[in-house]
Amino acid sequence: MNSLVMIMAGGASEDLSVLTKVRAEPAIPFGGKYRIVDFPLSNCVNSDLFNVAVLTQYMPRSLNDHIGVGKPWDLDRSQGGVRLFQPYLGPGQSGWQRGTADAVRHNIYFLEEQRVDTVLILAGDHIYKMDYRPMLNFHQQMQADVTLAVRRVSPFETHRFGIVSVEGNNRVTGFKEKPRRSRETLASMGIYVFKADALREVLADQKLNDFGRDILPAILRTHKICAYTFEGYWADVGTLQAYWESNMALLAETPALDLYDPEWVIHTRSEEQPPVEIGPEAWVGGNLLSNGCVIEGVVERSVLSPGVRVSAGAVVRDSVIMNDTVIAPNAKVERSIIDKEVFVGEGAEICYGVDNIPNRLYPERLNTGLSVVGKRARIPMGIKIGHNVLINPGVTETDFQTDFVVSGETV
Amino acid sequence: MQILAVLMAGGAGTRLTVLSDKRAKPAVPFAGKYKIIDFTLSNCVNSGIYDVAVLTQYRPHSLNAHIGIGKPWDLDRQRGGVHLRQPYQGSSADLDWYRGTADAVYRNLDFIQEKNPTYVVILSGDHIYKMDYRPMLAYHREKGADLTIGVMNVPLEETDRFGIMTVNRNMRITEFHEKPKERDKGPLASMGIYVFNTDILLQRLSEGTPEAPRIDFGKDVIPAMISQDKVYAYAFEGYWVDVGTVQSYWETNLALTTPEGRDSINLHDPNWIVHTRSEERPPVKLGPQAQVINSMVSNGCVIRGKVERSVLSPGVYVSPGAMVRESVIINDTWIGPGAIVERTIIDENVIVGAGTKLGFGEDMTPNQDMPDKLNTGITVVGAGAQIAGGLTIGRNVLIRSDRFESEFPGTEIASGETV
Repeated sequence: MNSLVMIMAGGASEDLSVLTKVRAEPAIPFGGKYRIVDFPLSNCVNSDLFNVAVLTQYMPRSLNDHIGVGKPWDLDRSQGGVRLFQPYLGPGQSGWQRGTADAVRHNIYFLEEQRVDTVLILAGDHIYKMDYRPMLNFHQQMQADVTLAVRRVSPFETHRFGIVSVEGNNRVTGFKEKPRRSRETLASMGIYVFKADALREVLADQKLNDFGRDILPAILRTHKICAYTFEGYWADVGTLQAYWESNMALLAETPALDLYDPEWVIHTRSEEQPPVEIGPEAWVGGNLLSNGCVIEGVVERSVLSPGVRVSAGAVVRDSVIMNDTVIAPNAKVERSIIDKEVFVGEGAEICYGVDNIPNRLYPERLNTGLSVVGKRARIPMGIKIGHNVLINPGVTETDFQTDFVVSGETV
Repeated sequence: MQILAVLMAGGAGTRLTVLSDKRAKPAVPFAGKYKIIDFTLSNCVNSGIYDVAVLTQYRPHSLNAHIGIGKPWDLDRQRGGVHLRQPYQGSSADLDWYRGTADAVYRNLDFIQEKNPTYVVILSGDHIYKMDYRPMLAYHREKGADLTIGVMNVPLEETDRFGIMTVNRNMRITEFHEKPKERDKGPLASMGIYVFNTDILLQRLSEGTPEAPRIDFGKDVIPAMISQDKVYAYAFEGYWVDVGTVQSYWETNLALTTPEGRDSINLHDPNWIVHTRSEERPPVKLGPQAQVINSMVSNGCVIRGKVERSVLSPGVYVSPGAMVRESVIINDTWIGPGAIVERTIIDENVIVGAGTKLGFGEDMTPNQDMPDKLNTGITVVGAGAQIAGGLTIGRNVLIRSDRFESEFPGTEIASGETV
């Protein structure tokens, strides 16, 4: 079996709000020093799959920088390795990709060149550790045209996933994309193994642009589709709440996602930063702190990316803080997601008060009390910011009209 | 102008006791995730010197693995890059090991000739400092010197630890005293940093005779050159530490746990990054019970106990109820529940059993086997040692590498003992 991996990293993921205003979702920092795409990429190399293509379209710069020639994953190889594919123009090419299947179709020439018999298609925005080899073996044993990885989800969550119906012999007999209500609870994880020939065949129909929405329902009767059940940890961090929860889950004494497993190292491009420095007044119980952090204040139940500075007298609780953000003295940050290089001014308070008014512009995205601050924003000193507040990337002190931003506002 | 840097990394570093049992001194971990040689190597690349030879001899394995092809320093290059040079046998009388620093360079003369640089910068691989070598090279050219020696001011009462230079008004060196007992030679100490014109270096190193050998730069080459060549001193002001003794190694690490100490070396400077080969490790995890103050903690550590004024390398595990104070703990050491570790340097992969006390008590009896090296109250544990639970171990104690639980004489090890 000769396999090629294609990682879908081009979507805009609007549900992540300000986090994806400056980058594609797979490039969002996660678990302190990692980025989301590190998980599927590391899964590939840990599964001995060294022929990987990453398909980008939306805001790829950060992702390009991060993956580079693939050195951290040992994917800088003369045979195979990692390739970053951008949309391009050509004779008879329309340019932009209209969905996951269309993205693969744009790069079908590469598939021909590679002479592979199996194509593994992955989403670049899921957090999980999975050995793909058993799934590929299963695919071969079943002599399937397509194999989907599936897992059970709670009935309340079926509307976030593609839900499959399966017969006793692992044959998929039905597929519903994001149903409101469903009796079935087996969700597709967005991991597809295709026989290369079958993939070429199904992509020939130019009207089918998305694997989950278009292709799977269309080929149910014509192709043999099997379901492979995956039992381990898997999280789709496509919403702010899910992203925050998955980060917080790492703080458990024995987290479901073990980052310390020497047999399954999650590789990433590490910045060269000194060890964490902890000052005389610091209080740091229950956290994940990355290299380069300097902690002088109180940090509790939080995940900090490299280079974050928490000044004396400042308090950070239940928050995710990304690279090189500075929390000035006596500032207070609770239940927040703060993007890179933000400056939180002296004495400012984020997530002030006890109300929970959903965000007025995006009530469906921000309604659990989290406030989110975009990259390189500057929060003025002494300001109070409520819950479910959205602060856009790059805002400065002068963009704040009042010294109290009530819950549900957007700046 | 072409510059070749030659790093001397072959010394045994015996004063560091068990820390240099299994590795050369430049490969001893420092400041958590770094190794001592990272500072000099990073100085080279940050000064635009990309042609670096590292001369090894004593236990080079750790150093070889660390430097590799030089990737972390961007020294994996088509032209130049880092070269690890081991002693080798040749046709001549070179059948012996290197006898000193000058001898080591002399035995690599063919390499220097092949590179044919204009200047050779000789550096010591076992000092902690940040220095831009470019101003020193410019000074060397300006003075028209044959040899320029980096010097710094040291307190007069410490001059007996250094090679001391006496200079005239133009900073030309007139006298050189290796570790003088008298205090009247002035405060300018050699930092072991030499800029040579290549032709002079080649010539002077070739002039050795049985009566006047050319074995060591400090003892043989420099005194001989002062009388006949233009030898200048270049004064360096800034952070520079020789971490050659257990006490100074411990002190220099511990200084990093204070804001002032951290400012003096500033590992955060984006314009002068200290590069190292970082292991791929997850962020530091602090359990809800963890209490950490005034410390430096590296990636991959898991802390569930108390840590105060300590420096932890990657992958150290501090169990609940354990206490680490004023200590330096190197990679992947496991501190058991309730253990108390004070003023101790613990090398990598050590197991400290539950409830064991290390560095216990006020008894400062110097180590009986090496009273000159271990006498300031610091206990040292060698790599891979396994210390059983419930022991009480005093101060100035030396526990050698790979000691098993069964090799300990009893449950109490008094200050000054060696296991």
